Amino acid sequence: MKAKVAFFDFTSCEGCQLDVLNLTGEELLDLLGAIEIVNFREAISNRSDDYDIAFIEGSISREAEIPRLQKIRAQAKVLVALGACACIGGVNCLKNHLPMEQALKMVYGDAAKYYDTIPARPINAVVPVDFYVRGCPIQTGELVKVVKALLLGKKPDIPNYPVCTECKMAGNICVFEFGKTCLGPVTRAGCNAICVTGGRQCWGCRGLVDEPNKNSEEEILKKHGLTPEQVVEKFKIYNTYAEVKK
Amino acid sequence: MKGNSVLIVDDEAIVRESIRDWLADAGYDVATAETAEEALETIAKRDFSVMVLDIRLPGQTGLSILKEVKAQRPWIKSIIITAYPSEETTKEATRLGAIDYMVKPLAPDDLEHLIRETIESVGKEPTVITPPKAPGKPAAKAIEIKKSVVVSKQSFKSLVNNLIKITDVYGVKAKRGKYVYDSISSANELALNYDVTVLPPTAYLFPPRETILKFKLGDGSKSEPVTNNTPRAIIGVHPYDIKAIEMLDEAFITTNPDPNYIARRQNSLIIGVDNLNPSPKSFAPSMGTHTAENGFDLMLTDLGTKYMVTIGSKKGADLLRKYAQISQPTADDIAKQKAVLDEAQAKYQLHLDVPRERLPKLLEDSYDDAYWQSRSETCLSCGSCVMVCPTCFCFDVQDDVALNLKEGQRTRQWDGCMLVDFAKVATGENFRHDKASRFRHRIYRKGKYVIERYGRMGCVGCGRCAIACLAEIASPLEAFNAIAESVRAKQAAQRILREARPESELYAPRPAQLVRVEQLAAKEKVFEMKFLDGKELGHQPGQFVSVSILGIGESPFGVATSPTRTGSFEFAVRNVGSVTNAIHNLQKGAVVGIRGPFGNGFNVKALEGKDILFIAGGIGLFPVRSLIQYVMDRRKQFGRAIVLFGARTPAERLFVDELAAWKNNPDLEFYETVDRGTPDWTGNVGVITTLIPKVQIDPRKTMAIVVGPPIMYRFVIVELKKKDLPDENIIMSLERRMKCGVGKCGHCQINGVYVCQEGPVFSLAQLRNLREAV
Ligand SMILES: Cc1cc2nc3c(=O)[nH]c(=O)nc-3n(C[C@H](O)[C@H](O)[C@H](O)COP(=O)(O)OP(=O)(O)OC[C@H]3O[C@@H](n4cnc5c(N)ncnc54)[C@H](O)[C@@H]3O)c2cc1C
Ligand code: SF4
Ligand code: SF4
Ligand code: SF4
Ligand code: SF4
Ligand code: SF4
Ligand code: FES
Repeated sequence: MKAKVAFFDFTSCEGCQLDVLNLTGEELLDLLGAIEIVNFREAISNRSDDYDIAFIEGSISREAEIPRLQKIRAQAKVLVALGACACIGGVNCLKNHLPMEQALKMVYGDAAKYYDTIPARPINAVVPVDFYVRGCPIQTGELVKVVKALLLGKKPDIPNYPVCTECKMAGNICVFEFGKTCLGPVTRAGCNAICVTGGRQCWGCRGLVDEPNKNSEEEILKKHGLTPEQVVEKFKIYNTYAEVKK
Repeated sequence: MKGNSVLIVDDEAIVRESIRDWLADAGYDVATAETAEEALETIAKRDFSVMVLDIRLPGQTGLSILKEVKAQRPWIKSIIITAYPSEETTKEATRLGAIDYMVKPLAPDDLEHLIRETIESVGKEPTVITPPKAPGKPAAKAIEIKKSVVVSKQSFKSLVNNLIKITDVYGVKAKRGKYVYDSISSANELALNYDVTVLPPTAYLFPPRETILKFKLGDGSKSEPVTNNTPRAIIGVHPYDIKAIEMLDEAFITTNPDPNYIARRQNSLIIGVDNLNPSPKSFAPSMGTHTAENGFDLMLTDLGTKYMVTIGSKKGADLLRKYAQISQPTADDIAKQKAVLDEAQAKYQLHLDVPRERLPKLLEDSYDDAYWQSRSETCLSCGSCVMVCPTCFCFDVQDDVALNLKEGQRTRQWDGCMLVDFAKVATGENFRHDKASRFRHRIYRKGKYVIERYGRMGCVGCGRCAIACLAEIASPLEAFNAIAESVRAKQAAQRILREARPESELYAPRPAQLVRVEQLAAKEKVFEMKFLDGKELGHQPGQFVSVSILGIGESPFGVATSPTRTGSFEFAVRNVGSVTNAIHNLQKGAVVGIRGPFGNGFNVKALEGKDILFIAGGIGLFPVRSLIQYVMDRRKQFGRAIVLFGARTPAERLFVDELAAWKNNPDLEFYETVDRGTPDWTGNVGVITTLIPKVQIDPRKTMAIVVGPPIMYRFVIVELKKKDLPDENIIMSLERRMKCGVGKCGHCQINGVYVCQEGPVFSLAQLRNLREAV
């Protein structure tokens, strides 16, 4: 019997879900051969509440989202957080630095009074999460890897070492050598350092490793010309929630 | 039969395939055979116009094929190729019908020309084409393993371009101001005068990721090893990387021979180049890896317009024969090679402080050294150091199953001991859970474990890790030297202990008699002392003594009189606690213990010729008084003397008679103030900083002497900075809690500085580096 899979989105751009649809035709067919997608807002309209694996996209930033998420958790045997917003709070948490009312106004303008909003948080701040597919947006290869691991009943091999390791394996010249700065030394690998390979630098979209040496990274950023404020800003982009939590 | 069909018989793939490619490109119909047997089989099946035949073949010789061919297909014209021409074989071959000879290395154009002529001509006389050679010396003898020959850069380029036609070629290229190994499609892309590459060439022998097994799941479940046998040439390998490859050979080949490594290794041709332009982070000479005698097929030394080429293997020799114009090195060439290598060696800036043979022992004795902990504090566990290292070879193994869940592959990928989870076991326990133990493990690998296990240096001194480490802690050289230093220090300490002569007086006070006491203010008294043995204290202004009241304790006090006033000395005491109270209770004639003088005192030499601005707050006047007296007694040696004094209230003013005298002394400019006035006080009211704007000073020649309560310093500094006084010209005396006075007890320490030793007098410039100071 095929595993039944459902996708749900909370506060996010839905960019990660759309990414699932960007799989090449063959991969998608393969994927659908192994699983049955029963609930996927972007792709099919008939909804079903009968599923084994729930993929959750987006962070939690409104009161009403909490019971909805809890219900999904109760139904799903396996719950997977999908994308930076769901895994680490992501860019949505940037609003946490503003007073809530101001944040609402910025997003909804005068309609703000119709919305309640709470500080944005990752899924695991509300319910337990079994697996994470990280990144902003996610990489389909990793999603496929996690699905396969689930089907095989093993833990997916998601690295707990920093992006630098993969960056070196890719043969890149470290961006610090060109006067740029990078969050690779504290960010969890698994993306093959695509941003550096592509000529940019790492912004930390996959979240921090389990034991990041943040002090050392901060010192290094400062030594390479960032002001303490800029250092804080840099960490904030994706890893605000980790900051706030501390 | 096609009129232009050619059969090539040669056992060396590189020759066979290169001739095939040249001729195929030139429009010939080409077939190849590796052995005599195969050649005969092919000839039995089909016809050829020309056969190109190497007469040295494994098994049956080329000559025996000639015989067969003459019998079976006498019209095939045979051209013999050989690297070892001799008159006997030449004769024999012509006897057997060979049309012509060519001596390896072959030039494609010559060969093509000869084949064309052979096909066109009938009954042509045999000619022998050989490359130019030194007179009297047969070409065969000119190329020997371990010998050096000279090749022009142009000829080397053409060798590389020929190599590119027959095999995958990787070489060193420039990339954004750095150097990397990459696949090359023309010799012009090579940048061989480089310092170091980002990743080492060992990545071609042990790649970042490779498949080691393919498997099928389910009923017919089975697995099958996968290796990569693609021939490749790696060009531009520096000697330290060659040594690293030798180390890897040891690890991968000696025990449990690793099929994946061996497949790549045996199919890799290595062309090295001496490093004439070492990276500033490299310490290859200390590891004995700045030159290499083995481990390469060819090794180049850049002599300007040409290379000195050392031949390291038969493969290398063959390559030269086939594709390069070689000549014997002249005496000049040999001298030049030595000169450039010596010059290169002189460029290395980093060196090991101990002989490398001693590293294993040194490390063994330093397992618990504090260095591991302190130096690894900033380690990011980022793995960069182990990823870029040519001698690191740890890996992780992962299974990758296809989505159909029926088949998959097992891959290995680089891993390393600096990564947090490297030594974690399934139960969650991590045998190297802290940064320090991982950091130490890596350095031990580099300087001890690998040497002991494989007999080769585990670090070849390339310096890549030092370049890659953002925390700037990864260089094994630095660790080795630090450990060596620490061991040396330990040994020195033991020597010092053996040879130590204790100073028995260190903690024993000298008896001195109180000859005069005077009340200065409500809680302050001044005490005049004389040593019972009649000796002088022998102090500098700004130094202090430890005054001890046996049974109560000991406390430090600044000496309040100048050493110019001999016969006795004074200190003044504010009564704040036990010792100070006991001192206050002393009667004239009492005997107390004195230790000291301690501390550095004011550097009076440096004050000579300068204008001096004294700023004393409260009992800060006690030590300042000593210097004021000194300046008054040697007035001519100094410029202006300006004294600013502040007390909290008029009643707390100290040495009031002296203050009055200073006020009237034309040699002194004296200003004073009180924080809070009283009805009968007619002078300034306000904190001491309010006096500073009142005085005009020349910041270039003024030294400020500032002593007072801690709070005072910050505000006074602000005011002095407004007068542009440089940090070096602001001199302060710090009060810290003190017990021993001799740099032992640690109470007075500010960051790394002991105030009782290096202080209590500091310039602001010195204090700026001491973050705990103000
Ligand atoms: C280099 C130097 C020069 C000094 N010169 C003078 C001086 O010329 N005249 C003068 O009256 N005082 C001077 N002091 C301060 C004097 O040493 C202390 O006031 C004295 O040690 C207090 O001892 P106590 O037993 O009377 O006080 P305690 O009963 O031990 O303690 C009373 C208070 O004094 C503080 N204190 C105790 N020991 C010290 C200490 N070693 N240093 C600083 N504070 C301490 C305690 O924290 C407590 O607040 C100097 C201190 C230093 C370090
Ligand atoms: S570019 Fe970034 S990820 Fe790559 S090595 Fe440098 S710091 Fe690490
Ligand atoms: S390099 Fe950094 S920012 Fe880019 S995908 Fe990887 S984790 Fe995200
Ligand atoms: S430890 Fe560092 S210096 Fe030594 S071989 Fe490895 S990368 Fe080079
Ligand atoms: S144990 Fe560490 S130092 Fe040794 S080879 Fe492995 S990664 Fe390199
Ligand atoms: S020593 Fe440097 S390069 Fe190595 S893991 Fe630590 S921070 Fe990274
Ligand atoms: S007072 Fe003991 S070390 Fe300075």
